[in-house]
Amino acid sequence: MTRSRLLPFVRAALVAALIAASALVTVPIGPVPVTLQVLVIAVAVLVLSPAEAAAAVGLYLLIGAVGMPVFSGGGAGAGVLAGPTGGFLFGFFAGALAGAAIRRAIEATGGQRRGLLADIVALVVLVLVTYVAGLAQFAAVSGRSIADAFAVAVAPFVVIDLAKAAVAMLVARALRKAGLGDRVPPPA
Amino acid sequence: MRVPVAFGQYVPVSSPVHTLDAKTKMGLVAVFTVGVFLVDGFWGLLAIAGCVGVALAFSMVPVRIALRGIRALTLLLSFTLVAHAVRWNPATVTLVRIGPLGIDGQGLVDGIFFVVRVILLVVGTSLLTLTTTPVQLTDGLERVMRPLEALRFPAGEVAMMLTIALRFIPTTAQEAEKIIVAQTARGARFDEGGLIRRTRAFVPVMVPLFVNLFRRAEDLALAMESRCYRGGPGRTRLNPSHMTVRDWLVLLCASAVLIVVGLLL
Repeated sequence: MTRSRLLPFVRAALVAALIAASALVTVPIGPVPVTLQVLVIAVAVLVLSPAEAAAAVGLYLLIGAVGMPVFSGGGAGAGVLAGPTGGFLFGFFAGALAGAAIRRAIEATGGQRRGLLADIVALVVLVLVTYVAGLAQFAAVSGRSIADAFAVAVAPFVVIDLAKAAVAMLVARALRKAGLGDRVPPPA
Repeated sequence: MRVPVAFGQYVPVSSPVHTLDAKTKMGLVAVFTVGVFLVDGFWGLLAIAGCVGVALAFSMVPVRIALRGIRALTLLLSFTLVAHAVRWNPATVTLVRIGPLGIDGQGLVDGIFFVVRVILLVVGTSLLTLTTTPVQLTDGLERVMRPLEALRFPAGEVAMMLTIALRFIPTTAQEAEKIIVAQTARGARFDEGGLIRRTRAFVPVMVPLFVNLFRRAEDLALAMESRCYRGGPGRTRLNPSHMTVRDWLVLLCASAVLIVVGLLL
């Protein structure tokens, strides 16, 4: 069967729907209800092409901007994007693009053997880009220092974000075993 | 684990703001955001608050609903206020002093300024989604993005993907719920053990979700191609939207007011 021209578009749209839906399904873990958005985005970075991953996150932001309550805590609207925490959302977009692109680049140099390294670097890039963008906007909008912003908006979430990244790697491994995901075309 | 049935922010009442074209309102939100950030004093904030109040009154949206967006930010805003106002050994005017901690006069004023600015920003921009349906917004977005096609930005495809994503959010949420329930029935526990164990419990949820998603994407792409979907130029639409004279007048006058307020105050 020839590869469909529409498939990448449709796949990105469905991943965007999954990211949005994962904000609606909250799971009561401990005192803070946990949503699975970060986990879904991390898996997307590992199993989609850079363009698809960025398109999926970008669509998710658009869905939120047009008023669906898909941001954390049931937030919605362009106000959230412009508000203090909006930088983290823009950071997801930039991070997904950068993470998936770097993963591909590393895989292209070493194939399967570098798979684990590629995954780890991709997720570190995703998390770092998200934090940097988030901190910058948080500090700018709320008029506080970067250090203050770090203490309130990043430090409490580092451990749980890393846990989600680790789980994303397990999910991606299972999907690749099932023959799904973004495979680098073999060198000609 | 619950999927809200009624979903979205749209308030279905008829008002002059509701009947404005989506593109007009998107333009206003963009200018409004710039205006709010240009303002650098309390008179400016007061003027912006006046603009938001007028828009809110015309929109017929209940104030309680318009203010709902702030609730999610309560904690962040309180932190902002405290961080600005409370200082160790404050240098300038000190209002209250408890040991080395003091409430700084200038800091308190700054804190109130930033908090009010965020509140105005959130309430003002949320009027867009309170008065416009997601379908109108998607349509409007496609029109706004169309000039970008000259830069090879796929505006038509983005609108198509947005429509698909909106359609599949409830389906996907239900599917996620079903898988969580099914895995719980098979003995999966999401409420036991430490952080690592609890997060790991989601592997058997995420894997089937993504497998289904990849399969569904192939089916959907195949179905669209079998029906000769090709998108892009020449596609017609059922309900074309146009900006009227009224839209242009509102857009130009309101933008002028916001920019003047932003630059002067």
